[in-house]
Amino acid sequence: MSQEVKRFHPAWIAVELFALMKNSIAIFLFLFVLKINSTSDWIVWGRYLFLIGIAWTLIVIVLKWFLYRYEVVGDSFVLKEGVFVKEQRTVSFDKIQNHHSKTTFIHKWFGLTSLTLETGTTVEGSAVNFPVLTVSEKERILSKLLDKDLSEGDVDQEKKEYGGVKKVHSRSSKKDLLKASFTSLSFLAIFPLLTTIYFNLVDFFNIEDTAEGAFDYLLLHWWMLIILFVLAMVISVGIGYLQTTIKYGNYEISDDSERIYIKKGVGSTSSFAISKEKVQAIVVEQSLVKRLLGLASIKLISVGEMKTEEQETSSLYPFMSKHEAYLLLETLLPQYPIQEKMERFPIKVLWYKLLVPYYFTIIAAVGLFIFKKEWLWAAGVVFAISLVTRVLDYFFTSYLRQGNTVQIRKGGLTNETFITHYNRIQQVSVEHSWLQRRFGIATLYFQNRANPLHISELNGVSKDEAEEFYNWFRGKRERLVRRERVS
Amino acid sequence: MYMTIKEPSEKIANQAVKVWRISNTIGHGIAIIVLGILLYCSEHYQWYGWIQVTLYIIFGIIVLSAIYSIFIEPVFLQKTWRYEIDEDFVQMKNGKWNESHTLVPMEKVEFVRTEQGPIMRKFELFNLIIGTTTTQHTIPAIPAEKAKRLKAEIAQLAKVKESDLTEREEE
Repeated sequence: MSQEVKRFHPAWIAVELFALMKNSIAIFLFLFVLKINSTSDWIVWGRYLFLIGIAWTLIVIVLKWFLYRYEVVGDSFVLKEGVFVKEQRTVSFDKIQNHHSKTTFIHKWFGLTSLTLETGTTVEGSAVNFPVLTVSEKERILSKLLDKDLSEGDVDQEKKEYGGVKKVHSRSSKKDLLKASFTSLSFLAIFPLLTTIYFNLVDFFNIEDTAEGAFDYLLLHWWMLIILFVLAMVISVGIGYLQTTIKYGNYEISDDSERIYIKKGVGSTSSFAISKEKVQAIVVEQSLVKRLLGLASIKLISVGEMKTEEQETSSLYPFMSKHEAYLLLETLLPQYPIQEKMERFPIKVLWYKLLVPYYFTIIAAVGLFIFKKEWLWAAGVVFAISLVTRVLDYFFTSYLRQGNTVQIRKGGLTNETFITHYNRIQQVSVEHSWLQRRFGIATLYFQNRANPLHISELNGVSKDEAEEFYNWFRGKRERLVRRERVS
Repeated sequence: MYMTIKEPSEKIANQAVKVWRISNTIGHGIAIIVLGILLYCSEHYQWYGWIQVTLYIIFGIIVLSAIYSIFIEPVFLQKTWRYEIDEDFVQMKNGKWNESHTLVPMEKVEFVRTEQGPIMRKFELFNLIIGTTTTQHTIPAIPAEKAKRLKAEIAQLAKVKESDLTEREEE
């Protein structure tokens, strides 16, 4: 399946140039505009250094473009990079966890797009990144990936064609976006915006006096104040709506038998695809506002390294109603059934949590006693805070194990439900301290592959459940491996 | 017994107590020497008063920790450490006040390695280090012969590839 070695599209140079311009504009303005009349040594030298730096970067950009190459050899990508130090990387297809592509305005101009293939390692730069690609080239690379995946599983030819059929499950509607713009509170953004504008104007004009005059006038005519306020609100809601639309407009969630696809964005679009098998866990998040409005956002946890932006894309539409989200999840990933009703730990766990030594308070008290006696009361505050956190911790933690999955819920203001499959659990630990033994409880830890590593800690599980969990995990894995060995 | 989790069968070597005693004595010795130098300096050059107070507190803590980790801890550690390696799992148990059981599926094991410091060399012991994609675990003080055998065994067993275990559901 070898084919010729490829370079990036020449527009890569343009994109890099644009980035260079963006990064150096501040220095340029400083050296050549603000300090244009300065003849001090370091400014003059700075100018020369700047020009040399720019020239050098230009040369490197062109060389980089010339020397960077990639090709598909068999089941892996081979990437050749490096200007002075040559580097060759081979990334095999089955190590790729998910891929996402992003089309910014600049990309759109040239009819191009970008593509990143994430691998599971934590080493930086482990992802295969194609910053500039033609759309058809992207399709070609992805089809190589898909082909390989399909032929790997014992899927016959018929099914292979069928597997490509995408089914769209959810699209964002106008109503959704309106709701979203409210829950994200983006309409509040107008206030800092207005203050910034105001203070900037103050610097240039003698606005204080006029403003004061206007304010007095407004106080006399209070109805005008209300109108102004309403107007400001309308404008800010409008801005918020626009912002949300740009970010979350055209949201589309679809899947086929193998993968889940998420697309979003107006203007600059981004898309994300993950193979269902590679979903490590699911997180359902509800902030306070979202809870009030009955919304929830669902995140798919994967091994690949993800920046915030990609994490946003990897979450299913973040402003879906909870019910809808659960239904969608059920169709997309039936192996992760979510239960809404979860039970808290028995009340004795609360007493236990309150009894655990207050190390932090003790350290604070001792420290203050020695160094600042008159501040000793601060230790009391520390104590009160730890009391409250412990009580809240008790009330917001719950746990459920059913069938093949484990589900835990944590968090106060933002409440987070984490669900994973036994098959995705990397290791299990059960721990019990002397005090826990007095209460007949234990702490349960299990780890999931994610980036960064996800450790779930459950302090206060009854000892019977801890024991059962341990043996459940053991039994499940044992049977799984046995069955595979026999067949 | 607190829980009915099956105890792992293997114990670690008896000499582990000696190894830990020696290495902890050396470690604490160095710490006390460094502190002594600092105390001398603070006395001699008349540093701020609170520095001396802090140094004396640290000194006290080190002495207490030395008593614990030289005379008491090694015995407990050696007595409570258990491990078991079979074709499906690496199972570990340790701790007296805080008892901990850990279970790592064999096919999640990514690497296995033996390690030996100068003191351990004298007693012909090895640490066995087992790494997964997420963490690594150390089983301390295993006799040389056994450590080598276990390393080979785990390397062999861990070849069960994750991708061979496909997503077929049971229920």
